Amino acid sequence: MATATASRLAVPISNIRNFSIIAHIDHGKSTLADKLLELTGTVQKREMKEQFLDNMDLERERGITIKLQAARMRYIMNNEPYCLNLIDTPGHVDFSYEVSRSLAACEGALLVVDASQGVEAQTLANVYLALENDLEIIPVLNKIDLPGAEPDRVAQEIEEIIGMDCSNAIRCSAKDTAKSPLRALIFDSYYDPYRGVIVYFRVVDGTIKKGEKICFMASGKEYVADEIGVLSPTQMQVSELYAGEVGYLSASIRSVADARVGDTITHASKKAECALPGYSEATPMVFCGLFPIDADQFEELREALEKLQLNDAALKFEPESSSAMGFGFRCGFLGLLHMEIVQERLEREYNLNLIITAPSVVYHVNLADGETIEMLTPKEYIGPIMELGQERRGEFKEMNFITENRASVVYELPLAEMVGDFFDQLKSRSKGYASMEYSLIGYRESNLVKLDIQINGDPVEALSTIVHRDKAYSVGRALTQKLKELIPRQMFRVPIQACIGAKVIASEALSAIRKDVLSKCYGGDISRKKKLLKKQAEGKKRMKAIGRVDVPQEAFMAVLKLEKESST
Amino acid sequence: MLRSAFPLVSHLPIRPRPPPVRPYAASAANPPPPPPPPPPASAYVHLPFCRKRCHYCDFPIVALGTSSPHGDGDDPRITDYIRLLLREVAATPPVSDDGFPLETVFFGGGTPSLVPPSLVAAVLDALRARFGLSASPEISIEMDPGTFDAAKLRELVGLGVNRVSLGVQAFQDDLLRSCGRAHGLREVHEAVGMVSSCEGLQNWSMDLISSLPNQTEEMWEESLRCTVEANPTHMSVYDLQIEQGTKFGQLYTPGVYPLPSETDSANFYKIASKRLCEAGYNHYEISSYCKTGYECKHNVTYWQNRSFYAFGLGSASYINGVRFSRPRRMKEYADWVQRLENGAWSHVSGNAGMKDMAMDVVMLSLRTAWGLDLRSFNKSFGRSLTESLCNTFRPFVETGLVIAMDMERRALHPSDLELDLQHEGGIGSRVAFIRLSDPDGFLLSNELISLAFSIISP
Repeated sequence: MATATASRLAVPISNIRNFSIIAHIDHGKSTLADKLLELTGTVQKREMKEQFLDNMDLERERGITIKLQAARMRYIMNNEPYCLNLIDTPGHVDFSYEVSRSLAACEGALLVVDASQGVEAQTLANVYLALENDLEIIPVLNKIDLPGAEPDRVAQEIEEIIGMDCSNAIRCSAKDTAKSPLRALIFDSYYDPYRGVIVYFRVVDGTIKKGEKICFMASGKEYVADEIGVLSPTQMQVSELYAGEVGYLSASIRSVADARVGDTITHASKKAECALPGYSEATPMVFCGLFPIDADQFEELREALEKLQLNDAALKFEPESSSAMGFGFRCGFLGLLHMEIVQERLEREYNLNLIITAPSVVYHVNLADGETIEMLTPKEYIGPIMELGQERRGEFKEMNFITENRASVVYELPLAEMVGDFFDQLKSRSKGYASMEYSLIGYRESNLVKLDIQINGDPVEALSTIVHRDKAYSVGRALTQKLKELIPRQMFRVPIQACIGAKVIASEALSAIRKDVLSKCYGGDISRKKKLLKKQAEGKKRMKAIGRVDVPQEAFMAVLKLEKESST
Repeated sequence: MLRSAFPLVSHLPIRPRPPPVRPYAASAANPPPPPPPPPPASAYVHLPFCRKRCHYCDFPIVALGTSSPHGDGDDPRITDYIRLLLREVAATPPVSDDGFPLETVFFGGGTPSLVPPSLVAAVLDALRARFGLSASPEISIEMDPGTFDAAKLRELVGLGVNRVSLGVQAFQDDLLRSCGRAHGLREVHEAVGMVSSCEGLQNWSMDLISSLPNQTEEMWEESLRCTVEANPTHMSVYDLQIEQGTKFGQLYTPGVYPLPSETDSANFYKIASKRLCEAGYNHYEISSYCKTGYECKHNVTYWQNRSFYAFGLGSASYINGVRFSRPRRMKEYADWVQRLENGAWSHVSGNAGMKDMAMDVVMLSLRTAWGLDLRSFNKSFGRSLTESLCNTFRPFVETGLVIAMDMERRALHPSDLELDLQHEGGIGSRVAFIRLSDPDGFLLSNELISLAFSIISP
């Protein structure tokens, strides 16, 4: 630890570089980060594993980055030591909020573009985000070894679209502001059960030392910084951090609310005059109900959500109760993937059994949320993509050819049409080549009806859906049929009805199970039979009892499945 | 900690030792004893030899081929196996040293009737020497048509065998052939003739299988009619189970042609219940029927969750609260017997968890017409579990799948269960037993029992 501290101090502040990597999903960002870690000797080769910075199991399994990560690297050039702080960012469209947080903590960014593919909509959005933050951008053409790589074409594309010189030189300065009062921006935090809230921050002005009394400017709470350190990429304690550096601190902070992401850290004794501009709040795009299968787990679910929120500032939730589902939470997510990730983390990390209801969007009476959606696609897929836009009640706005072969297509469409499988459809219809970006444009008037579902005569709010009046009958029919497939038969006949108000518009019924009996107990060997019955009992436990009917998780997603099947 | 442990101890089912000779005839009507059960008074003996494997069978058997239809005293596969079996009996220590002779012995298979009576005698002698046999034990043996003659049957009866279970399965040649049985209808009639006219043999049972491929309702009615005419004291009616790894498993899917549909199959079950009850049989367990007083005492041991010894390939014993299944392969079974003899393996008394014990009690008792004894269950597993179980079954009591019964096992009105549940600690005041109804509740037993499991182990 001592040597680490000494060598760290040898780096002049002017040689500190905080940077992030902007890249489209799969364009090789995590791989590039791995290589940087390895070449700078930050991580020994033998400790190296793929996607080193993606330390959530879920991230490795899915091959994506979900949480931003920071790593400090040392590098010697011309006998000068440099400190490179890499802030790794997620690439998926759902996580652009995380990207904006990490960009705010950087002075520079590497723009990684897959030389075999070209600039994608998501990349473009992040580049603009970076330019807005005055970041120095160094274009990196990646994957030039691939047989399909066209570095010249892609370089030209970058110059054409972003208007950036592709032979850009590095120029970076960290302002020497060590004498001014401390201001450090919190860009992430998580809860450690032993040490309390751990805060990740970037020192903008002044210095912070171990043992100093600090103040969080928004909450006004004061704590003693018991431990400060750098991320290398694992936490390494240091005694002091200077302006321009990125680090972490722990101060036995018990509540996340005391040290919110976006807040500014200053000294309790010598407070800064004004806080740094914080991050904007993330706006959830998709809302779902989250209910514990076992009602006793409601409190555990609340605690788990609170802890996750610490680590995932974009997650929003508020308590909700429903007669059919019991007590749970209405949660807001950035997108469908974000929703799945949160559900999986709750189930894996907190051991909860959950039912998640189909995503819906926020409606004001008679008004539906609308959005503009921009899709980038190679020209041969323009047809299928416009079909998709039309199918989803989209209003065509404009189309531009960005390059000779790539087009940008813009639609305005109801958010409700996008929250389902729109992104999946876009990918499948363009063989994976198209990408998209969306933003909310506000509420629009629409002719909508609420479609209610009754199972065995009990209305199930979690299955209610708001549809355009013209689609109500076909959705009602398809939904009741889908539910009939998804809900296992019970010991009695179960009617499944779709209604608008009191009027039943579609009806199906599950016939009763006629027979489920194991007849012989050969030679008293009951163990196999018991195993089968236990398995059957486990299956029941995974379901939510609606009245007397056991309903599996899949059924609550029936609306989504419907869209997938009707459009493929 | 200690203080709170004492009430628990008093709940432990430490029972006074039962009298040496247990009154079995009455026991069928008695509540199942709380676990762990008293020392075994029953022994299952597995005789795995068959002429060939039936298409539905996934049991540990040894197929001998058709060379020796009536068994062969010299077949080394049989003699070697019996030698192994005798070694296992000799190496198995009696659970109790004094006064627990065997009340029931069951030779199951396989096709035990392929084993020469002299070898059956050797096994009985070994059991008698090791554990003792009561004054009037029930000794059952499974026999298949075409594997014995009148002389062999007389010989077995002479040894003390007093109950025969005849594996008929169907009264149609086509069906017998299609399920790979080694006998035809002619052998069935011969066997029924021999068994029903055998002197000294009053108690015999017949097995039938429903839901066979291509079986029609007419065929099923015909099989039931023939059975009633043959007038056995006991009937076992099994619904065909399609097991993985069997020929049927490869060929067929349950509910899909040529197997009967789920509705037809359920109907077969209901027809059997109706016809056999009309003919004076009691439907005392999901797949068992008998004339009054002719329950299979050995099988009742299983349903009442009492312990039993088991010997032979793949057989399952239940001793000192531990269920143990022997290896299903001959080589591994032989090695295991060797270890047993060396003292490297013992029937240690184990502590099955309370949840598992409660599941066993529920699963076994709900298979029977006597049902689950709520007071005894309450005593062993506590009031809250008993109440949640009753609460879970309440809607099914209303729809008639589950029946609430009083102390004398008379059916009660569903409202009686409601009343018991409304008063704290009221369970057991009106409703003493709950059972599954015949045939509707029995037909859905898996659903209802697994529902109870999900309450016992949430």
